[in-house]
Formats: sequence, C-alpha cells, structure tokens
Amino acid sequence: MGGVPERLEGWTPSIGAEVPLKAVVELAFRYRGNVTVLKADGGQITGYLFNRDAEAPEGFAQLLDEDGEGTITLRYRDIRNIVFSGKDTAEGNSYEAYKRRKEQARTATRPN
Amino acid sequence: MTVPASQAWTVARYVIGQKLRRRRHYPLVLMLEPLLRCNLACAGCGKIQYPAQVLRKNMSVAQALAAVGECGAPMVSIAGGEPLLYPHIARLVDELARRGKYVYLCTNAILLKQKLEQGLFKPSKYLSFSVHMDGLAAEHDESVCRDGVYEQAVEGIREALKRGFRVTTNTTLFDTANPMRVREFFDAMMELKVEGMMISPGYSYEKAPDQAHFLGRERTKELFAQVLSNPQKGWRFNQSPLFLQFLMGKRDYECTPWGNPLYTIFGWQRPCYLLQEGYASSFKELIETTRWERYGRASGNPKCADCMVHCGHEPTAVNETFGSVRGLAGAAVATITGKL
Repeated sequence: MGGVPERLEGWTPSIGAEVPLKAVVELAFRYRGNVTVLKADGGQITGYLFNRDAEAPEGFAQLLDEDGEGTITLRYRDIRNIVFSGKDTAEGNSYEAYKRRKEQARTATRPN
Repeated sequence: MTVPASQAWTVARYVIGQKLRRRRHYPLVLMLEPLLRCNLACAGCGKIQYPAQVLRKNMSVAQALAAVGECGAPMVSIAGGEPLLYPHIARLVDELARRGKYVYLCTNAILLKQKLEQGLFKPSKYLSFSVHMDGLAAEHDESVCRDGVYEQAVEGIREALKRGFRVTTNTTLFDTANPMRVREFFDAMMELKVEGMMISPGYSYEKAPDQAHFLGRERTKELFAQVLSNPQKGWRFNQSPLFLQFLMGKRDYECTPWGNPLYTIFGWQRPCYLLQEGYASSFKELIETTRWERYGRASGNPKCADCMVHCGHEPTAVNETFGSVRGLAGAAVATITGKL
C-alpha cells in the first residue's frame, strides 16, 4: 500500500483513496503501541487498539484505554483518523542487545 | 504418554463423549493468559510486546473461571506472560483444581523456588508445573536472553519435586538446535526425574525480536526425526506419541485451531493460540463466527504454511487416537514399545 511509512511510530495518516480508513484501522490493530483515535465528533481517545472487525454488520474497533481500566468500542463511521502516537513496543531490539552484550563480554575476557 | 491414569481417563472420557455427541469443534486444552507481563524477554517470543497499561493488567479470577466454565475443556494451561507474577495465581489454581481441571502452570521457574517456600501451592494430582526449558544451560540461556536462568529453573524443578509436586518441561526448538545436544538435554531432564517432557517447534511470531531462526516445515521434520529416532528407553513425553510422529514426518495432520483455544485479557483470541486475528467476546462466538476454513496448511494461508506447533496439531493427534482404529493402535504400540 502506497503512502504508508516503514515505521509507523509517530505517523499521522492522510485518509483518502490511497490510504483508506479501513486499512489504517488494520495497521493500528497490528501495531504494538498506543494510538490516538480522532473521532468524527471532534473528540479523541488514546489507548491500545486490540480488536477490530471490518466484516461485522457494523464495522467496529476496540481499545483498551491508557489507564488500562476500560474497553472502548467505536464504530468505523465514528472514526476520522488514527495517529500512531505511542512507542512501538515490538520495534525493540532486545535480542540484538543481548547478542551485543554477549559479544562485548566475550571480547572483554579474551586474552590479548 | 506419562500422565497419571486419572488424567488419561478424564481426557479419554471427555473426548469420547464429544465424539458420541458428534461435536466437531470441541476444545481439549484451554490456554489461559491472565496477564501478559513477564520477567524475561525471550528472542523467539512475540507475546509480551505491549504498552504499559496492557502489561500491568491482570484478569480477575472470576473472569478466568467464567471462561474455563464456558469452554469446558478438561485441561487448562496457564501461560502468559509469567503466571507466577499473577497476584491471584494460588487462588486461581486452587479454584481450578476444585473444579476437577488438570492445570499446567507454564513458568520460566525463576520465581518457583521462592513461591514454593512461601507455601503458595499445595501438591495435587491436578497441578503440574510445566517449566520452560529450551535445552541445556548454554542453549536455554541463549534462548531466554539471560545468563543463569537454566540453573534457576533447575533449582525450581528440584524444589518442586522435593515437595511432591508434578513437574513437566516444555521445550521449543528453533533451527539452531543441535540434535545431539537436545538428546543430552532429554537425558538431563530425566535424571532430574521430571514426570514428562513436551516439545514443539517454535512458531514464527510476527512480533518476536529474532525472526531469523524459526523452522520451516521440512527442516522441522528433519530435526525432530534426528532428535527422536531411537529414543532412549527412559525418555518420557507428556504428549501424544502420534503428535511426535507427526513432527518426525511419519504422519500428516491438519491443524485443529479450536483444539487449544486461548482466552486472554482481550477475550477469546481468533483463530488460535499463535495467530492474533481478533477477539470474540464469548467462546460460543469464537466457535460459531471464526472462519475456520481460512486457517491451517490446507487453506493456503501463508501464516499457517510452516506451522507444526503442538497447540494446533496435538488436538488432531488426540482426535485421531480416539476417532480411528489406526490412531488408537498407533498410540498403543508407541506407548507400549516406547518406539516412535
């Protein structure tokens, strides 16, 4: 899909023919960070978008709010845009970091 | 198989009951994730990469028990995240045992010794600690990205066995596995006197940090054939021998994604323990509205092409055991002779 950056973190999509809302909801569902949903009524909600169903009679998305207390269900038609506002937690490099640490430890103990 | 007779009988009675009722979509093991936070960040795990509010969240015991009741599976595998970090773990295990559910508490065992010393659990035929062990010390510590975890896990296993608990191990193999080292690892676990071992190839989680070492289907068969051919007499596996034969390429099974359904803090995960395609609000909704034909190798879904993981294929093996003379005979011969 054109118009979608490689890294989603920090991205504000331009909803249109190239990047339709349905596709942005799908990207938000695959994204492992918080997003900010800009609602059609002008309000906004930040949370983790953990579920969506575009094939339901009335397409919907579900978020766990930032406090982790409540689940919010929004119809697709109530969503204007989604900003990828939170850190992408899957972007991490814990394995690479571990390998680097191991290599550094090996180098440090290796006799000259 | 090395499960106690009472557990084997419970499972057999349950499966035969489902077959007599001609129920196709029946669950065998409920995978329950009451939390997603963990005290490790393993290279091959895609389960814990979430924002803070998700990782802080704990499922209530009432919610977990309602899911167990609705699902009806005779066995419950408590995973996560690390279940020993779940604040209500003792109560949850106790309630499940009172309901006659066989519980596998899947743990990395870092906290096991400490929790046992605190008297959190009582030995029971219904409770087995299923300790995550991906090989001998070098391989396991590499897999969990932290040195010293193997020794901590061994210490936890020893303590649990000393106190009379059932202990099994669960092992995930990647393409870095050396068959001879895996066999040595099996010997080591048997020397520790664990009840049985569970093994599976790793699944290529989209969000796992290490994407380079997941096994393809042919490589899986090759590796498991090398590992399991001419098994040592003393090796005990806590899983269906037909599933092990499937891993060795001796049987061909399709996936049964509803066999080990997953209930998490988000709800019932579609379609399986590994793929995250959405959530249903009830088990009934999961079974009735998931488009099952879209999953499994035969569907052509690329996400399922290389998967031979236990959670989808062991239920198929168990179903064959109780659903055909060939399956029953195959399982009986392997169990009696110890040959795979």
